[in-house]
Amino acid sequence: MPDKFYLEIITPEKAFFRGDVESILIPSVGGDCMIMAGHQPMVFATQPGILTITVNGQRREAFMSEGFIEVRPDATIAFSQAVEWPEDIDERRAEEAKERAEEMVRRNRSAAEYRLNRIALQRAFARLRVKHHEYGDRS
Amino acid sequence: MADITAIRHRIKSIGDTHQITKAMELISVAKMRKMTEKQAFSSLYFDSVRYTVKDILRHSADVQNKYTALRGGGRAAYVVIAGDKGLAGAFNNNVLNLAWEHMQRYPVHYVITIGQMARAFFEAKKQPVDLEFTHAVASPTLHDARGIVRDILDLYDKNLMDEVYVVFTHMYSSADHVPEVVKLLPIEEKEIRADVNTTFSGDICYDPSPHEVLEVLVPQYLIGLIYTALIHSASSEHAARMVAMSSANKNAEKMLGELGLTYNRLRQGAITSELLDLTSGKFFYENTVHGGQEKE
Repeated sequence: MPDKFYLEIITPEKAFFRGDVESILIPSVGGDCMIMAGHQPMVFATQPGILTITVNGQRREAFMSEGFIEVRPDATIAFSQAVEWPEDIDERRAEEAKERAEEMVRRNRSAAEYRLNRIALQRAFARLRVKHHEYGDRS
Repeated sequence: MADITAIRHRIKSIGDTHQITKAMELISVAKMRKMTEKQAFSSLYFDSVRYTVKDILRHSADVQNKYTALRGGGRAAYVVIAGDKGLAGAFNNNVLNLAWEHMQRYPVHYVITIGQMARAFFEAKKQPVDLEFTHAVASPTLHDARGIVRDILDLYDKNLMDEVYVVFTHMYSSADHVPEVVKLLPIEEKEIRADVNTTFSGDICYDPSPHEVLEVLVPQYLIGLIYTALIHSASSEHAARMVAMSSANKNAEKMLGELGLTYNRLRQGAITSELLDLTSGKFFYENTVHGGQEKE
């Protein structure tokens, strides 16, 4: 039985998750990272992607937008603009957002806009990926 | 003595207004409660963002971001947040006057207004409004805040201004709200209010680097600041309106009582004088008309 640690996931609108977990896999800017109990105190910046939480051997995936994760000795706290379970994701909206972002990236007017659109695209892709995992398209 | 029908009209109209103010008070109470709840959730998030930004800036002085660099010029932009409607006591005036005074220190200043009262104020002062946001006052959302920050950064990136201030009403409690000026850009460590008590005080590593964490956090910090300001302003507005309306209610009740008394007194007086007329008329009739007839 692996050690557990206390995890809190907070968005500006609500507390998304609170509880003891065994590990989390986070979409860090520097690449995906696994955090387990006893991790060194650290702050990770995250990009839109998939957050995987493991509790009692059960894995659950969620979409996580850009934000940051603070690992402290007593608790790990994830802050993000948006975190969603697959069942809460509106697939059609994500699909539309993806098409819109792709269109914008294609136009590619300025560097700042490109960066913004790339993040929007990343968000849409991550949402769709989480949604499709739920239906077992990939395992 | 006022005319009795005039008083009846006044009682009716004050009664109607009283009903409106009563309804407005109840609405403000409900809206304020909703805002306060929203604020409680968001402050948890944005306090941490603020704290982390402050921590990075304090510990790693060499970390630079284009929004932390000082530009050193006299061009300031003001984001002034007021209400959409009046009837909220001195709420709008307090925050707008503060903004106006602060502005006079800078030879060049741009004005970005949020809320219709703010726009009306600057138009009356013959100060051109450079950018205006509507629909963000009544029930601010994160989406609104994101849009506002994006537009402001757009202007800032074009090097149109050197500093950006936010003027809004900070709500400390339902009875205590103070207009404040907060610097939005450039971000300075000493300006960041962070009152989060973290249990861990040692040095924290940043992954991949403090610079990149800051890169992610800066937009969130700005969005948080604007969002918090919008929510504080909205809840202060409702709190101010609640107080204004409750005193309006008290006044209306007092006036209704006084007018009711005058009305009743007048009515009684009218009845008495009518009775007097009748009895004296009868008396006169009996003594003159009938008396005359009897003599014939």
